[in-house]
This record gives sequence, structure tokens and C-alpha cells, in this order.
Amino acid sequence: MIRTAVSSKARLGRRGALRVAGGGAAAAVLIGSGPARSANASIDIVHFFSGADHPMELVIKAFNQKNLGVTAVSRQEGTTYEAITQKAMAGIAAGRPPAVMTTGWKLASFAKHTLGAQDIRGAGADGNAVLENYKPDVIKMVTVDGAVMGIPWALSTPVLYINMDHWKAAGLDPAAIPTTVEDLYVKLAQLQQKTGKSALAYEVNEWEPQAFIQNAGGDVLDSGGKPVMDSPAAIYGMEKFVEAKTKGLWKPIGLGEMLTAFQAGALGAMVTSSARLSGIKAQTAFEIKLAKMPGLEGKARRMNSGGNFLAILARNKEQQAAALQFLKFCATPEAMKLWLATGYLNTTKHELPMPAGQEAAYAQLADGLTPETVWPGARGLEALKVHIDWISRIVNGSATVANGLKGSKDAVAKLLA
Amino acid sequence: MFALQGRYAAWLFIAPAMIAVTVFIYLPMVLNVGVSFYDWNVLRNEFSWKGVENYLSTLDNIDFRSAAVNTAIYLAVLVPAQMLIPLVLAFLMLRVRNRFAVRTYRGIYFIPTIVSFSIAGVVWLWMFNPIVGFLNTLLESMGFAGHRWLSDPDMALWCVAAVSFWKGFGLNLILYAAALVNIPREVIEAAELDGAGAWTRARRIEVPMISPTLFFTAVTTVLIVMDEIVGVVDVLTEGGPYNSSSNLVYFLYERAFRQFNFGEAAAVATLIIAIVAFATWLQFRAFERYVHYQ
Repeated sequence: MIRTAVSSKARLGRRGALRVAGGGAAAAVLIGSGPARSANASIDIVHFFSGADHPMELVIKAFNQKNLGVTAVSRQEGTTYEAITQKAMAGIAAGRPPAVMTTGWKLASFAKHTLGAQDIRGAGADGNAVLENYKPDVIKMVTVDGAVMGIPWALSTPVLYINMDHWKAAGLDPAAIPTTVEDLYVKLAQLQQKTGKSALAYEVNEWEPQAFIQNAGGDVLDSGGKPVMDSPAAIYGMEKFVEAKTKGLWKPIGLGEMLTAFQAGALGAMVTSSARLSGIKAQTAFEIKLAKMPGLEGKARRMNSGGNFLAILARNKEQQAAALQFLKFCATPEAMKLWLATGYLNTTKHELPMPAGQEAAYAQLADGLTPETVWPGARGLEALKVHIDWISRIVNGSATVANGLKGSKDAVAKLLA
Repeated sequence: MFALQGRYAAWLFIAPAMIAVTVFIYLPMVLNVGVSFYDWNVLRNEFSWKGVENYLSTLDNIDFRSAAVNTAIYLAVLVPAQMLIPLVLAFLMLRVRNRFAVRTYRGIYFIPTIVSFSIAGVVWLWMFNPIVGFLNTLLESMGFAGHRWLSDPDMALWCVAAVSFWKGFGLNLILYAAALVNIPREVIEAAELDGAGAWTRARRIEVPMISPTLFFTAVTTVLIVMDEIVGVVDVLTEGGPYNSSSNLVYFLYERAFRQFNFGEAAAVATLIIAIVAFATWLQFRAFERYVHYQ
């Protein structure tokens, strides 16, 4: 059925809005039920993991081999959360939403309010049974306004990657890895001086500054979703972040540049997602050590996480049931074991072997992780970009830490109001 | 009767193109203007009237203003560069008598235009890498300080402009070379007999005779700089750091497909259409009188 809806806010005359609405952009939308599938339901799993032997593909393949009456079809539709979300929106608008989509934590509010992701608890006993497999703390990360927006799938956390060849060459003790940022900067200054290598790189985004802000006792958004990133604690945390630059240890560069430089052995250390370990190791010949992201001296650690969850976007009951069947499989030890090869952390209660080298990330997880900031409201994604731009201004010296965070708060508050 | 039939036939022949252009270009343009006055929820296909609010918030947006300024800089730098440098190179190539050398030059200059930028971008990203990249390695080996290039807000725009020039100048070069070769030989010989030197021939004979091509490239280069630079921006900087290398079309892309704000994106698109239309009109007003059609 083709149905064109017009907002009750401003009901428009047929010749006005419907003409615009109808034409504007292939506006006629198929909403509601798609064709019913009975014997063997086929569901699309939309993600951005490339490679035929990627664990995502292996999980889908293993699921299909179970012959549960549901065929999962892998659809890699981009390389970023935004790209796959964009395609999912087109699918939803055309009445063919993907059954399941990997959705970034930061898009949780968008998934609920805009994409119409299903509350897993809404699936009744089956949904609750699936959620029973996950650690309660992790479930909180995918809960938006009381609704569980998916199953926690990919969980990572920022950790410190150290090139141990340079570390040792600088005469630093391999057993004495810094636990505070202050100590890290002292040791990396020695590394830089002794080896001539660039000492450190952070990601210039919203994620790693969030770790600094939280470790200093601040927050980006408070529990009510209001921006509080200009608190004295947050300013202190950000000052520690940019101190690496002012001390000459960090030349702010892009994420791709940072990874290339580290893999080429030209960087002493970097902070990035724990999930990158296997990919980085595959490209390098030197010894890499993962360490917990250092905290701030005299402050309680409060590290954040990132990653994605599997959300059900299907609209009709049969597709939803089939999607839940897939999620049920993803929650099993068998699927999780396959998935952990990515380097993402184990979000379930199942006792599974920890991938080699991930001890620090698991220790960080055991300490307790907060969610990645979820940007609420219709303009949440715009607020996220504005915040990242202010972080970039601070890092590049176009704004002081205090002014930059104030600028971010004002701009974000305006967008989230 | 025959004339009438001929007129019908003419309409019949142009109908397929007219229908395609109307359906895929003009109709979406008109609809886009309509959408720009609404808040459009794509998923529910709901429209809420916003009047000129989308335009006001766009014009009030610092990122839009910064993208507009950057667009003006890209146009000011790249349009002259992508017209003059290929023109000079085309003249130089004209003087080369060895056919193999001419073909080789054309090939070398044209390759960047046809290479997919998703592939070339990887090479450029490596070139610009501040720590292990070719440019800094070269500079530092000569005793100069390296730069952060794409991560430096003062340099990112110029890096994008340089790569965009590299990507785009080959097309104009080929067009100029073809136009120069097609100038009747007797006209050039007559000028030579009259004692015109290379500079005088170029200024008085060759440039005027390829003026239709120059005018065509002037119009298309503006469009290319406005639009096709987006691919370079996306691969190299994603508009950053903090929009320092963004342009209007990239801003539009982000508004629509990263922030999913389709009403404001439509307003931005309408403004871009207006700017491009005005720029094209201005070009016709200012330069068409200097174009000599044979």
C-alpha cells in the first residue's frame, strides 16, 4: 500500500504540500508490512565489515548452517556508520528496511527516534532471553529512554599502543608502563629524545577527549542530555589532552595518518580503539604492547567505550521474529567466539578465551566502562559534528581549552534545545 | 504542410532529451526548492512547514559561511589555474614536432583526470602524511621543517586545491590542444608571412580563434570546481580541520547524508543553484562578446 502522510503540525492543502511531498524525493513511501515470508524467511544484515573471511561473515555463515528456517544475507553497504545509516534510511523510506543493522553507540538515540529500531524487550520472553546473555553494565549502554535498542555487539575502548622496540631503544623499562598521563608524557619525552621518533598520537575526535574529560571527573553531556563539557573538571581533562602537543610530543594528525605512521614504526605510541589490534599487528613486524589508557594523577579513572550494537529495523512481525532468531544466535558462545577474532571485547557473560594481547582492554572493561556519548534529539548528529569541530579548534590552537569547550557547549545546547 | 511536419519532427527528435532533462534535472530542482521550505522527515514522509527558517538558519550557520568563503577561494585560485596553465602547456605542446612526444605528453597530463580518485587519494594521503609521507621526508632531507599538511587548518585548503588542480587540468589541456590543432594552417602561415612572432600569433590569432573553447572551459571549470572537488575533499580531509577545507557542495552533502537534515540541505542546494546560475549568467554577460565563432 502506498501511503503519503503529512504532519499534523502543518496540514497542507493538496496542491501545496502533497505536491511537494509527493514528488519531493520519491516521496511516496511504502510503510508497514512488506511481503509476508513463510517457509524460509530471508533477512538482510547490514554492516560495514569488509572481507569474505571477516568474523561478521563467519557469524552469518555459521547461523545459516544451522538451518533454522531463516536465511541471513550479509550486506556490506559502506564503510562508516553514517554510510550504512544513509542506505538504511533509503530502504526504510522505500518500505524495505534491513532486518538488522550494525548501529554505532553514538547513533542509539537516532536509531530509536528516527530509524524506529525495535525495543528488544518488546519482543517478550524471547527478547529477554537474548538479553540474559549479556553483562548488565553493557546492556545499559544500549538502553535509550528505557528501551533496549539492540544487542551489544562490538565493544571497544581506547587503549595505549606502544612500539616496544622504540620503548626499549630509549632505555625505558618494558615492565614500567605508565598508568598516568603525567608519567606517560615524561617517558615519551625520553623516547622521542633518544630515538628521534615522533612520540605520541591521539585521535582528534569526540571519543578520546571524552576519556580525558571523564577521567578528570567531568562529562560531555549530563544524564539528562544537557551539555556540560565546559565544567572545570572537563577543562582540566582537555588541558591534559592538549598538553601532549604543547610539550612537543604530539603532532595532531588524522586517524589514517596516525595508523599509517604507527604501522610504519615511526611513532612511539598512540591511543586508539582496542579493536584495531589484530589489524595493526598484521601490518607490523615490531613488538606492540597494549596498555590501559593512562588516567590522570590523583583522579579516579572513568573510561569510556565505543562500538556498535545490532538493531532490529524490520517492520513486519515475521521479519522481526527472524531477526530476533539471528540475534539469539549472535548471543551464543559459538557466535561470540567467532566474533571476538575482530578484537572487539566480549560483551556476553560467556567465559571465552581472550584474544592474545587484549589483556589491557579486558582489564579496562573489568574496571567498568561508560557508554560513548549518545547525542540526543533530531539535531544530535549535527551537535556531534559541532563538538568535534570545537575539539579540533582546541587541538589546533585556534581556541583555548576553556573558550573552545564553552563554544562547544553553547553551540551544542542550541542544537539540542 | 511540409514545414509543419518538419517542425513536429524537430520536436519529436528533441523530445527524449527534453524529457530526460526535465525529469532528472529541472523537476528535482523545482521540487528541491519546495522541500527547502519544510522540515522533511524522510522516513515518515512528513513535511512540516518552516517557511524561510531553513534559509535563515543556513545563512546563520558559521560552517555554511566558512564553506562559502572556501568555495570563493577555490574558485578564485582554481578557475584561473585550470585555464591558464593548461593553455600555456597546450601552446608549448603545439611547438613540439615529434608526434610520439606529443602523444606521450598528452597521456601524462590526461592520466590524472581519468584515474579514480579513490585510488589516487590513497597515494596522496601517503604523500601528505606528516610523519612518514614523501613531502615531509623530502623537505626534511633538504633541511626544511615538515608540515602537517591535511591536518593543518591553514594548509588543508591549499592541499585540496593542489590535488584538485592535478586531477582536473588534463581535461582542459586536451580541449585546448585539440582546438589549437584545428586552427587552419593557412591562417597561421599568413600571419607568419606578415612577420607575426609566436607571442603575437598566440595573442592575435590563436587565442581568438579558440575563444569558443576557452569560453566553454570557463563555464565548465566553474562547475567542476564547485562540484567535483567534493571527491577530493571527502577522501583527503572530510572538510576538516573544522571545515577549513570544506566547500558548499560538501557542506550540502554533510547536511543531507551525515546529519540527515533534508530541509536545510534543500535550502543549501537552492542557494548553490542560485550562485551557479548567477556565476554562469555573469560569465555569459562578461565574456560572450569576446567569443568568435568561425
